Amino acid sequence: MAASKENGEVALAETGDRSVRTARSRARVVAVTGAASFLGTNLIGLLEEDERVDRIVAVDAKAPSTAGPKTRSYEVDFTQPTTEARLAEILAAERTDTVVHLAFLSSPSHATAWAHELESVGTMHVLVAARHAQIRKFVMWSQTLLYGAHPSNPNFLSERHPLRAPAREPFFADKIEAEKEAQKFAQRSQGSVVTVLRTAPILGPTVHNYLTRYLSRRLVPTMMGFDPLLQCVHEVDAIAAFKLAIDRDVPGTFNIVGDGVLPLSTVIKLAGRIAVPIPHPIAEPVGAMAWLAQLAEAPPSFLKYLRFLCVADGQKAKTRMGFRPAYTTREALLDFTSAQRLRDVRLLQETTT
Amino acid sequence: MSGAKKKGPAKRDAKKPVENAKRGTTAKLDKRDPRSKPEEPTHSREAVSRAIAEAVAAAPTAVRAKAKSPVKAPPAPAKEDVEAASEDESSDEPEVELDTVEAEAPNDTPDVSPPAVAERIRELEQRLDRMIDQSARTHEPRPIPPPPSSRTLPVEGEPTAFDTARELLSTDFYLRKWGRIGMRNRSEEVDDFGFDPVYEKKVQPIFDFLYDKYFRVELDGIEHVPSTGRCLLVANHSGTLPYDGVMIKVAVKREHPAKRDVRWLAEDFIFHFPFLGSFSNRVGAVRACQENAERLLRKDALVAVFPEGVKGIGKLFKERYRLQRFGRGGFIKLCLRTGTPIVPVAVIGAEEANPMIGRIEYLSKAIGVPYIPVTPTFPLLGPLGLVPAPTKWKIVFGERIDFDGYGAEAAEDEILVGRLAERVRATIQAMLDRGVGERRSIFFG
Repeated sequence: MAASKENGEVALAETGDRSVRTARSRARVVAVTGAASFLGTNLIGLLEEDERVDRIVAVDAKAPSTAGPKTRSYEVDFTQPTTEARLAEILAAERTDTVVHLAFLSSPSHATAWAHELESVGTMHVLVAARHAQIRKFVMWSQTLLYGAHPSNPNFLSERHPLRAPAREPFFADKIEAEKEAQKFAQRSQGSVVTVLRTAPILGPTVHNYLTRYLSRRLVPTMMGFDPLLQCVHEVDAIAAFKLAIDRDVPGTFNIVGDGVLPLSTVIKLAGRIAVPIPHPIAEPVGAMAWLAQLAEAPPSFLKYLRFLCVADGQKAKTRMGFRPAYTTREALLDFTSAQRLRDVRLLQETTT
Repeated sequence: MSGAKKKGPAKRDAKKPVENAKRGTTAKLDKRDPRSKPEEPTHSREAVSRAIAEAVAAAPTAVRAKAKSPVKAPPAPAKEDVEAASEDESSDEPEVELDTVEAEAPNDTPDVSPPAVAERIRELEQRLDRMIDQSARTHEPRPIPPPPSSRTLPVEGEPTAFDTARELLSTDFYLRKWGRIGMRNRSEEVDDFGFDPVYEKKVQPIFDFLYDKYFRVELDGIEHVPSTGRCLLVANHSGTLPYDGVMIKVAVKREHPAKRDVRWLAEDFIFHFPFLGSFSNRVGAVRACQENAERLLRKDALVAVFPEGVKGIGKLFKERYRLQRFGRGGFIKLCLRTGTPIVPVAVIGAEEANPMIGRIEYLSKAIGVPYIPVTPTFPLLGPLGLVPAPTKWKIVFGERIDFDGYGAEAAEDEILVGRLAERVRATIQAMLDRGVGERRSIFFG
């Protein structure tokens, strides 16, 4: 234990951050909400191996599969009204100094009321608890989708750009509310570091979300005559970005994106799928019906992303955070595709036997 | 028969390990019997091993039966049954028999009395010898049934019709072909703004045709375009469908010594019009906005802008070659912020290509365009009416204007920006007036 602590001190001394060193007088404890999610489990796996982290507090409705000897799991349901008190208790008892808030839905849900409780109200609970426990750092997950796909978007959206995703869609509205809460928290508690990481759609061999489901279809619906540029980030890079935000003190909002963009048509071709162009005036009602019938992976408000640009600029994360994505958008897509092909084949075997 | 011969070696090879194993277990017998040597032909060797297997199988059972016979009378006939059964089976399926024997053998060894076994073995050896002699004399290789899999195995290197058929039947084949067809005219990577060089090369013949044959573009002052570094080409805008951006791009790409790629900024409504938008994006158009232009210029690109914007495209025929207001001087601010020189460009001839008589604006919102043009041909002939008239074009590049003396903070000075914008506008207007004045015919220059 002493050795690991020493290592931690050395590493922090290298970064040369004075405020970090003073805060390091006590043990480094990282709390992860949404610990059983894709990002949560992988991040906990990374933190388990990090000697600078003494303890991990996993908060979710169930324990993460990667929990190791350093992890303490707490089963907390964010949709319960008593969550903030319970969470404040846990954070104080564990002497947490960093909270990583990942309890968000990666794909749109039909249970919008529940999603609202989890994302918008849940974030409020977490922030209240964090203020009570006087945590030093708050890292939150957000998505570049929140910028919204608009014909008036520049090719690369910077972090200063307003979040213009359609507010009538609960999936976006809840996340935008959560971001606003986090900004308020950052303004009110001046001493703490608040980092918001807006990730591009995450692709990779193991992740599952609305995008991987969309690209897993044999026939992929597109908007006739529209071929927007898409951007994504590899799952490994997304997890690495959170690790970076935990290791370094970088207050602010950052776009976490892979380098490069690909036209949607090329994405579908590279994934080995067949595009089915639908005229956009009829796409909206058809999409709405498909969503109601649970045939579509996303509500019709996502159709705009098949027509217009929503590409974020990752320059700030590169210069200020030192985030270097290992995979370009194309490489992330190819990595996903290679795994998906295997999945396809196994699926075929399942159906034939 | 040739088939059987062909399959012979394969069969023997497959058998070898089994035989070796057998020989290993009965090394003692091999030594005693000089005839059961490995040099012997296949059939006899097989017979030997089969017999040996039989012997091994029979011996312990027999011995056990013998040892037990004083105590119990009934097992005696049973012993013969066992022996007969083992003999029959071994002659049919030697391998199976061997397996069972090997499994049984260790269990039976405690009961064995050595002299009885020796006697039995010797007896069997003699029988074996007789069998070998017999089979050597009446040698007739038994027809070996071909292994069922050998028929379907393809000969390496030459695919059979069967393989081709099987490939043609698989869904993957068609998906692969489909993928190849889809990817054949696009590159796997586009640049940050969506420009696809492979796609551009595919459509280049169309552009060349428009440039050489249709508009017969004439150039003047191409040397004013710098070979390196950022530069802003500022041009007059025209045409119901703006071909001017494409033609400036083709002109610089073909006639300029540095063969630079021009990125031109297209209006929102063109950029997001179905098909047209994604097409122009792949060949190098970028949506017109400050962020995009600044990003391109910071990468030292050659950018063409049309500060008239939608008003330029929407000019009526009677307003042709009269430059509209240059936006709010955004392009000047851009140049001041990024330290970019301007090359004024006059495109003569384009403004008569689609002479617009009127504009319909009340229906246009539903389609997503700022107006519906009325030309002598357009709503009348349907989409065919949008084909431009084959006017003779002339593109004049003026002398470059530098803004080095001002500095980035000058971009905040609205009055200065307005004055500079007006200067550029006047320069282009003068170039246009001169070009139109020199021209004798719209269609022949």
